[in-house]
Amino acid sequence: MFGFGYGEGFPDHSIASLEPIDNDKILIRTSAADVGQGVKTVAVQIASEVLKLAPEHFVLSEGDTHITQNAGSTSATRQTYFTGHAVKEAAEDLLGNIYHYASQEFVTNHPEMGTKEGRVFSHVDPDQEMTIWQLRDKLADEGIELKGRGTFFPKTFKPDPETGQAEKVYVGYTFHSQVVEVAVDTITGEVTVEKAYSAVDIGQAINPQAVEGQIEGGTAQGLGMALMEEQIIEKGRTLNPDMSRYLVPTAVDTPEVETILIENEDNDGPFGAKGVGEPAMIATAPAIINAIHDAIGVRFYELPVTPEKIKEALANKEQ
Amino acid sequence: MMKNSRQNASNRQENFGENSKKGQKEPEQVLGQNVPIGSADYLAPESLNKALEYRSRYGYKAVVIAGGTDIMVDYFEKLPEVTSWLDLTKISALKNIEITREEIIIGSLVTHLEIARNEELKKYLPLLAAASSEVGSWQIQSRGTIGGNIVTSSPAGDTLAPLLAYQARFVLASTEGEREVAAEEFFVGPKDNIMEPQELLTKIIIPHPPENTISRWWKVGKRKAMIISSLTMALLLEVNKNDRIQSARAAYGAVAPTPLRLESLEEYLTDKDLQEVELKKAGNLAEEAISPISDIRGTEEYRRQVTRDITIEALREMQQR
Repeated sequence: MFGFGYGEGFPDHSIASLEPIDNDKILIRTSAADVGQGVKTVAVQIASEVLKLAPEHFVLSEGDTHITQNAGSTSATRQTYFTGHAVKEAAEDLLGNIYHYASQEFVTNHPEMGTKEGRVFSHVDPDQEMTIWQLRDKLADEGIELKGRGTFFPKTFKPDPETGQAEKVYVGYTFHSQVVEVAVDTITGEVTVEKAYSAVDIGQAINPQAVEGQIEGGTAQGLGMALMEEQIIEKGRTLNPDMSRYLVPTAVDTPEVETILIENEDNDGPFGAKGVGEPAMIATAPAIINAIHDAIGVRFYELPVTPEKIKEALANKEQ
Repeated sequence: MMKNSRQNASNRQENFGENSKKGQKEPEQVLGQNVPIGSADYLAPESLNKALEYRSRYGYKAVVIAGGTDIMVDYFEKLPEVTSWLDLTKISALKNIEITREEIIIGSLVTHLEIARNEELKKYLPLLAAASSEVGSWQIQSRGTIGGNIVTSSPAGDTLAPLLAYQARFVLASTEGEREVAAEEFFVGPKDNIMEPQELLTKIIIPHPPENTISRWWKVGKRKAMIISSLTMALLLEVNKNDRIQSARAAYGAVAPTPLRLESLEEYLTDKDLQEVELKKAGNLAEEAISPISDIRGTEEYRRQVTRDITIEALREMQQR
């Protein structure tokens, strides 16, 4: 179980805005940093869903204090939840403004209109139709800017300093359980993780393939933590300050991961989504250590479990 | 003082002057040239003779590069210290694999990947083909050469134990001529060998192993690719029809200052019925004959335990074949 967001009552929020720009595009302004986890993809998919407009129509700004507002850090598994929410609200705000101004153009009521693929039209009079960008130009002539803005700023709760309890310590919780199959070579002490199975409760996968990618990456990191990653210090100096000696798993060390996504929307994230970055890795090291115990009957209490530790433990067991 | 021909980054260049102490002429004078050596020459000859001329003239003042998989690590963040390069990669004469009736001759620029994928080498020299297939990664195997692995002379060089087990000979060439050195005599310490600054390794000559040879390669490391071996083993037995071991060669890497053959184990195995080999005794002989250090790739204790256990397991597999 992983509580995501900063937690502990921190006043966390994210701000985003959307505006139609030239060339049939809509600009999403957010300063959420994409370090490979896919928050930009998530932002586009959410805006696309709300505006019923294909993803190709969206472009993203870079994080820039001149043109974007705070989206918080890419950490604490919070961007899909916070920025996803902010983009959703900004897209809804833009959609509301499109309806508002188009109804004035069409001289119709809001329920008698629709939008699809960048067009806004009247159900009453089929001739009354324009694109979002035509509407934008018309409004610009009148000095009105067509845009949508969204802020997600949920109430957070400071925990009691004595008990650590709060109404809600974190904004949401992701659940992940993992089963791993390992082979322990009792001759050399080498451990091979042959297969991993992950079941992850993420509320709703905005992008299932990206969620699987996060689970696979997290499994590789957890494997490194369990079996390899170790800063070796002697007399205050690190003996392995580079990637040839500080070992992380390579592609051939990493097992195939079968991922089962559990989407029960038990959460108030955007479309029910939860964060998945950090919860992806927390199950792997304990699962590997349990599997090693199952294989050779030795329980380890110190990571990483290197081939030396396996051989030593097996030698002690024989005696 | 011992002959010092160490090739590692720290003294590759500094030792240049020292090598004249044995009465050799300075390489520059060998060619009778007084043209000053450039401060940043990039020499990439297409012929071996030209390369040997450069080698004779520059000695350690030109760093020899082939695949670069060791050199670029040696000189990481120190490239400005290299005064000149001698790039061998254009010399096609060093890239051949030749198989005669008696011998297998491998050019020093043949890559690990070529050896790993060569069907004839897989058949005749399975230890070497298997070891080459486990060097670093595909990328390193594609660039790294067998000659580079030999002249780097790391005790953990993956191809070295197989070359010892196959009784390989190395051809060292210079403008003065060629000499052949047995693999066992070539390595003298960690990253140290008997090569002289004017020499280049050109060929590796391996006699065909007898037909009734069985062998086992083992690489032990902390992950499955991109890893310097914790230890390696190349065990080779020549066994006759009656299961008698006619000769045994047991070569190990990363368990001593150089890759080495374990004579006591070989003696024990030779002339014995394979089925009568006492596995525990063989394992103990192997464990006693090595002199490993503790480093980040394994403790001394670990290397002793695993040397014993892979020796036992390899012989057990051979008995049950």
